[in-house]
Amino acid sequence: MKKLLLLIAICSSISIFSQNTTKEVNTKGRFFGGLESNSQWYLNDVERGINHPDNPIRSNNYLLVNYNYGKWTAGIQAESYDPQPLLNFNPKYIKTNLGTYFLNYKTEKIDVTAGYFYEQFGSGLLLRSWEDRSLGINNAIRGGKIVLRPTENLSFTGLYGNQRTGFDVSKGTIYGFNSEINMSGILKMENSEFSLGFSYVGRDEKTNFENPNFKELTNSFAGRFNYSHQSFYINSEYNYKTDDAILYPITVSNTFVKPGSALLTNFGYSKKGFGLDVSLRRIENMNFLSERNPEVFSPEQTSLAFNDRMMNFVPSLTKQHHSNLANIYVFQAQKSVSIVSDNGIAKAGEIGGQIDFFYEFKKGSSLGGKYGTKIAINASNWFNLSGDYTLYPPDYKTDFLGTGKKYFSDYNLEISKKFNSNLQGSIVFINQFYDHQLIAASLNIQVNSYIIAPEISYKLTNTKSLRIAAEHMWADSDRKNWAAMMVEYNHNINWSFYVSDMYNYGFDKNSNLIDDVSDHFKIHFYNLGTAYTKGSTRIALSYGRQRGGLVCAGGICRFVPPSSGVTLSLTKSF
Amino acid sequence: MKKIVFILITLISLVSYSQQQLPNVKIKNLKGELVNTNFDFQKKDVLYVYAFWATWCAPCVQELDAISEVYGDWKQKINIELIAVSVDDSRTEKRVKPMVNGKDWEYTVLLDTNQEFKRSLSIANVPYTVVVKNNEIVYVQNGHSPGGESEFFEKLKSY
Repeated sequence: MKKLLLLIAICSSISIFSQNTTKEVNTKGRFFGGLESNSQWYLNDVERGINHPDNPIRSNNYLLVNYNYGKWTAGIQAESYDPQPLLNFNPKYIKTNLGTYFLNYKTEKIDVTAGYFYEQFGSGLLLRSWEDRSLGINNAIRGGKIVLRPTENLSFTGLYGNQRTGFDVSKGTIYGFNSEINMSGILKMENSEFSLGFSYVGRDEKTNFENPNFKELTNSFAGRFNYSHQSFYINSEYNYKTDDAILYPITVSNTFVKPGSALLTNFGYSKKGFGLDVSLRRIENMNFLSERNPEVFSPEQTSLAFNDRMMNFVPSLTKQHHSNLANIYVFQAQKSVSIVSDNGIAKAGEIGGQIDFFYEFKKGSSLGGKYGTKIAINASNWFNLSGDYTLYPPDYKTDFLGTGKKYFSDYNLEISKKFNSNLQGSIVFINQFYDHQLIAASLNIQVNSYIIAPEISYKLTNTKSLRIAAEHMWADSDRKNWAAMMVEYNHNINWSFYVSDMYNYGFDKNSNLIDDVSDHFKIHFYNLGTAYTKGSTRIALSYGRQRGGLVCAGGICRFVPPSSGVTLSLTKSF
Repeated sequence: MKKIVFILITLISLVSYSQQQLPNVKIKNLKGELVNTNFDFQKKDVLYVYAFWATWCAPCVQELDAISEVYGDWKQKINIELIAVSVDDSRTEKRVKPMVNGKDWEYTVLLDTNQEFKRSLSIANVPYTVVVKNNEIVYVQNGHSPGGESEFFEKLKSY
């Protein structure tokens, strides 16, 4: 903590200095960066039987400071999890330390980085290193990266390094190469865009097996194209990962060795007032970690639970709803092989697709009214791969096309409409199916749910506004029905306030429950909070109850335990 | 608690100093061409409004929809160009094009798929708007409240 305070003090004195100099010499050196602090004060909750953890006040803090001088930029990120990180963050984030640092030299044609860097090849199915503080993910690679752009139409990236895990790096070494070729520029195509991309990613890690049935260096390759002509577009990519040992169940097996692959195709058509987009994807055995064996913290918990040492990014291709109730039964992409002989679960990946349709009924038409009416329809369906699965010894042979049992589906319709210059509203209808047994390889529970979520926002004056959102979910199993309500008042651009409640009232303790430990009664999850923003600064304070479950961002989720308490978050960039 | 108070105090002391220049990052536009976030937007006296948004962020879409309705009027009154920077990652990135076309937004759209631009500005949440004039950041707005666009326009006029 002291280190962090010292850094902040230095940084604030530096920023005074930098302001003076930048004003005088304009393009000379300058400092920039940001501060983020997320703290929680966990309280006892008698009704729920929750006692606050040791160290009830916990905090995750990040300070990023960069210095730029002409073509050179250097930066450090200090992180502090003192005395302990927020509940259920990666236990490898310990106390205060230097998280990342880098030195970068950049011109139009060359971009070189030494130290920690973030990178994504294509859509990230082979390699993505990124940071998401709400999920506790920072899998930056420590090493070197070079990007060459010999012409406007060519870009080549080479990289090498080890991935960050907590305040350490993983044992496996990552090699990567990526190329992006803009064919329409080379061929001087006037009305179409056409580009190609090729990637290679290798992960080299020593193994303890005496006679491994796989190579220590796992290679992976990807090819992709992107084409569009006027209102039509199509893009596709294929990824292949060579033979590698599979986790069975939480350590790799020398007798269960398979290659992996991913095929993604996306196409669509869009013009004014109309958009159609289709994504199809097949994933088989694409768990790609910078260390083959996850770190085991307890029999129930490995580093996989914290998305640690993940090299690739396989997001679930489903709609990211902003309705709270639609995020209770949330799908996570099934990229891994999982064969569990105890309960007969056998899966090797996923196959499915998603369709989006956007349409606007024009102003003045009978359905459009004075201001027009917008509709968005979305549907997604995801299945296990069909094939022959053997439980013991574990094995499978999948079909290239064909669907197995359904994991998840989501059909939804959103209508939004402006009624007059002060009032606008929207309503969402959602139907979801969620197979908990197949997705989580756990209890035999399937949930079918229907959600309706109307919302209005009303402008009281030029700066003051009110937003009211209601939701109801009917579910046929697990905790059954939910009702939720949120009222938000924006006083002006600086201040906003909200109160919300989610009430689970269909609860039946005799039925099978996904979470068979916590909150075994009808329960209110109430919250109230306020936020103040000015310039780049945002301070938010809230009090309430947190449901135990998954918190997701970008299709990647983190499990949070049930809790009650006060949350304070501060963000500021400079 | 002391620590939090200390951080708060330090933070408030930092509030008055803000970033002067926009970092230069290469990201793609909707046509797939690489664009420099700073060097390619340097016309003299143009107010460049970088609006960071995502397809899944309801207030962002609401804000861009609201501005879209008055964008023509604004352009007649002030020298402005709005650059809508999508921070959608590869989960939702494919939705950007049909949504932008479907809504008929006349903005320049950039795709910050791995959030390099967002990170370089230390943006924690969207919507987040940065206004740049003559290569200098003149105004930053964090968040959006319904109807806030008229207040925002008054701000823009003052630069």
